[in-house]
Parts: sequence; C-alpha cells; structure tokens
Amino acid sequence: MIADNTQTQMRKGILEYCILSIISKGEIYASDIITELKKAELLVVEGTLYPLLTRLKNNGLLSYSWKESTSGPPRKYYQITAEGEQVLKKLDITWKELVYAVEVSLAGRSNS
Amino acid sequence: MNKTIIININSIVFHIEEDAYEVLRSYMIEIKKHFGRTPDSGEILQDIENRIAEMFAERIELGKKEVISMIDVEEVIAQMGRVSDFEDVDELSDETYDDHQARSKEEKHAPYGHKKIMRDPDDTIIGGVCSGLGYYLGMDVKWVRILFVLFFLFGGSGILLYVVLWALMPVASSRADKMAMRGEEPTLQNFKKSFEDDLENYGQGFTQAKGFVSRNSRVIGDVISAVFRFIGKLFALFMLIISGLTIMGLIFMLVAFSLGVLGYQNEIIFPPLEALSKDQALIALLAGILGVMIPFMALFHLFVRILFKTRPMNTYLSLSLWAIWVVSVIVLIVYIIIGNQNFKETSTIKVEKPMPLKSTYYFTEKDLRIIDAATLENGQKEYRLRGNMENFSRAIRNDISVRFEPLDSLQKPFVQYHYTARGKTYQQAAERAAKIDYEMSEEKDKMIFDSHFKLEASDPYRGQEVAAVVFLPLGTVVEIGEPLRAKLRGISYRSCLQEADGERKASKTVWVMQKSGLICATSNEQ
Repeated sequence: MIADNTQTQMRKGILEYCILSIISKGEIYASDIITELKKAELLVVEGTLYPLLTRLKNNGLLSYSWKESTSGPPRKYYQITAEGEQVLKKLDITWKELVYAVEVSLAGRSNS
Repeated sequence: MNKTIIININSIVFHIEEDAYEVLRSYMIEIKKHFGRTPDSGEILQDIENRIAEMFAERIELGKKEVISMIDVEEVIAQMGRVSDFEDVDELSDETYDDHQARSKEEKHAPYGHKKIMRDPDDTIIGGVCSGLGYYLGMDVKWVRILFVLFFLFGGSGILLYVVLWALMPVASSRADKMAMRGEEPTLQNFKKSFEDDLENYGQGFTQAKGFVSRNSRVIGDVISAVFRFIGKLFALFMLIISGLTIMGLIFMLVAFSLGVLGYQNEIIFPPLEALSKDQALIALLAGILGVMIPFMALFHLFVRILFKTRPMNTYLSLSLWAIWVVSVIVLIVYIIIGNQNFKETSTIKVEKPMPLKSTYYFTEKDLRIIDAATLENGQKEYRLRGNMENFSRAIRNDISVRFEPLDSLQKPFVQYHYTARGKTYQQAAERAAKIDYEMSEEKDKMIFDSHFKLEASDPYRGQEVAAVVFLPLGTVVEIGEPLRAKLRGISYRSCLQEADGERKASKTVWVMQKSGLICATSNEQ
C-alpha cells in the first residue's frame, strides 16, 4: 500500500509538470492533451484530467477560451499564462535536479 | 425493439436506450459524488458532461445511427474513466494517506443510508408490500409475512394496515428504484450486480425467480410461499365477496329509504333522515350512501385486480369517483349541520286536565299498534301489527313518560301534560309542541295511556315527547297494569313485583300514595 501511495504521488507531480509542458507548446483541447499523455503512457482515462486542469487554471497557471466545434458543443481550449510559464521554468529546473538525484542514487544498482 | 429516452446534456439532445440511460445516470451520480467534495466540482462536472456530450455527438450519424446504445455508453465511460481510476491521481495531495484509506474503506463498507419504502414487484404474494417492508426493515421477508398473517388473525387489523401500505407504497418498477428499495447505492457496480442477478434468476427458471426464501431452505420456502399465496387469494376472495355484498346492500338501502322518504312505504325510515325535509332527506340519503359505497367500490376493485390481475382503473373514472366521494362527504356534513339546526330550540307546553275523583285507580296502557285482536279457538290472541319497528315509523312516536306525584288529601286529582318539541326557532318548536295530541282516557274504570302518539303526516319528527304527571291525593290506592311498565318514571315496577314474592307474573302492581310518592303495597294486599 505504501508503495502504491508513493507511486501515485510521484506520478501526480509528474503529471502536472507534463500537462503544463504540453499546453506550453500552444493552445490545446483537453482530449488532445489526453492523446499526448496516452502516447507518453502517463494517463489512461480522461476523467482524471479535468480536475487537474481546473486546479491549474484556478491557480492562475492556465487560461482557456471557448471555440466552436464542427462535431458537437463548443470546446474549451487551454493555453498557458505568463505565471504558468514561470512555474514551468522552475519545474524544469526541479526536474533536472530530480533526474540528477535519481541517477546518482540509482548508480551502481545492478538491476537498473 | 428498444425503448429510448430523450436526454439533454449541455443543451444538446440525445436519444438514448433505456438501459444505457440507467448506466449513464448512475455513472454521473457516481462522478458527482466523487467530485462533490472538491471545491471546483461544478466546473469539473461541467467539463466532463461537455466532453460526454461531445463524444456522443461524434457517435451519432444522421440517418444511420441516431440512438446512443449501451455499447456507446460503455465506451464513453471507459474513455472517461471510472471513479476508481480517478482515485489514484486526484486528491491525494490534499489529504494524508491514512485519512484517505480510512475514508475509502468506510465508503465501501457502510451501507447506503437512504433506503426507500417501495413495493417489490418481483416478489409478491398480494402486492409486494411485505417484501418491500422486509428490505426496509432489514428483515427476512418471510418473517414480515408471518407478522402480517398474525395481524390478520388478531382482529383483522393487518388487513387495514396492508391496504393502507399498499396504497401508500410506490412500486419499485425500475432497476434504480429496486436498488433504492434494497438500500444499495446506485453505482455502476451495483447496477451490474443487479443486472446479473436478474439474468441468474431467469436462468434458474420462473419458479425459482419468484421464490422468496433463501436458497438453503428452498423446499420449505416453496411450501410456505404456496400456502401464503393460497391464504392471500382466499382472503382476497373473501374481501371481494364482502365488499360486493356491502355494495349491493347499500344500493338496496338507497332504494328502500328513498321510497320511505318519498312516502311510498311508511315503515322504512332511517331515523336521522327525519331531521330533514323531504327533498333534503333524499339528497342527504344519496350523499350518505355514496359516501359509504365509494370506498367499498374501491376495495372491490382492488380485490378484483388482485384476483384477476386486471388493469388499474381508468384515471378519469377514479378521479371522478374521488370527486363524488368528497362532494358526498361535504353534503353530508352540511346536512348534519342543517339537521341539527332543526333541533336548536326547545319548547314545552304545560296543560292540566282534571281527573274523576276515586279512591282506587287502575292505570294501564293500550297498544295502538294492535288494530285487530281476535280471540281464536285455542284462547290465544292474534295480533296484527301495523308497524313492527316502532322506531322506524315516522307517524307514531312512543316518547311518553308517566309519573305520579302526591297531593293534599283534600285537593282534587289532575293530570299535568308536558308537551315538548324542538325546532329551528322557538316559535316553530312551540307550534309543534301544541300540535301533539295525547291525553289519558277513561274506559270501563280503567285509566288508559295510549302506547303512542301520532304525528301529522306533514309534521316531521323534531324531538316530540310527552311527559304526563298524575297528581293524586294522599291515601289513594293505585293499581298499575303490566303494559304501562315501560313508561313509568320515578318508581320501580320490578322491585314492587319482587316484594310480592311468588307473584312475579302478576298482571298488575298495587301502590298507595304517600307524602314521599307512591309506595308499593302489593305484598300487603294479600
């Protein structure tokens, strides 16, 4: 159970980082984010995404605009804010530090 | 062929199959419950609904596929993810590990709090009331049934309870209703479970599908079930006959009393109706009979439905019956008030008439109802009665009382009559009292009180009564004949008979007027 929890927390932090990264590439629709995340094998179901997007938006890292769709109701397109860009830069640094830390920690382990 | 339901998600209309709708609905409930705890739930749910609408829209092809099917819903749900899929990612940062574990555990094991009282259409003997109650009370259905049968046996109170519950408890017709009845949370898992249970039941064949006892006591259960079903049917049949007979009786009463009120049949009079005028009495009678008959008709219909599994009553018919019943009850209440108005004022007229002076009097009663008394060969008398139900006869009344009071030995005897009647006004009451024609008469040394006094045909009953007070000088000997017995007030004919031991069958008693009133003298007289 503890392992599960640790995994979940690791994945959760990384998930937010990845979402911010994907959105920073340009205006994007939620289900396209899912497609990208699926490609990266990070997320499987869409339902998980919406609470995260909402939280990021409410923290001022994202904003969205409505766009007409050909195949249904209007869609929410997300884009990153200036604040989001700053946070993303900090996260980039943190990520590099983490990768370094993990590499150093794992060095010498036979099965890695 | 499938039934479809029209739903509206984010102002887009979809046609969806019934089963698919139930699954979708429970999914949305699940989602709402899951996100309901977070502060942004409104927005998140909006996003999810929006996305579902969009995915549905993608699946619709005009002319080819216009209805959302179960498969569509399942695929959309798979893509959106189950609540169990969300739990890993979401929320963890907000709470500690332990909290989360504790809560999810609680959610899994605590029973769903809101059970609904509903009738179970899959498990019925009569109406599924017992099985519904069983779920609600968390008792095995058979115990509830046994309790009800016990109630039936004790004064039949169970019948009323059952009928009332039947009327009040809605039937659990949809799968969601049935789950609410069992107290299961309407989640997707439970829906699936319920669906699989159904399939399993069908697989087992219809005999088992309707059995109500757990599988380990199947045989006993079947026997008990059959017995209950038989008792239920028998009871329903019994009630059907009872209510049917009641309705027939009421119709007969309506006809008979109507004739009575209209004056065709003098003897058939329903006492309360006498308080009203003829027209009012007819309406009141109709209202009263309908007021009683309609509930019995409803009962009759109910048991016909149970026994023969017929369709429920047409809505218009049942509504109009309801309306008629309400009107009847109101009319009845109005007439009770009007009737009471007619008895509001009381008037008593006092008249004194002298009596012939004698030292011994013989008082008795003449039964006016005997119109022909012929002595037959065997010495017995044959009575032909004009009205054998005195209280039911309007024309003659017997509210007559007789009392005896002492006078100074020098004064002359007399009779004082108190004629009393009631009416809407004092004037009316007094006029009615004056109309009462009743006096003692003298016939062959006997003082005769008639058994009844007559009311004029035009005069309705308004509490008319006569009290006769006979004032006699001290020392007067009074013999009272047996027939007068019932009219006597203030003295006990019976105790006087008992004093004269062995003369209980005497046709008269003897009394002497003293200062305190009449004193029994029968025993001294031997």
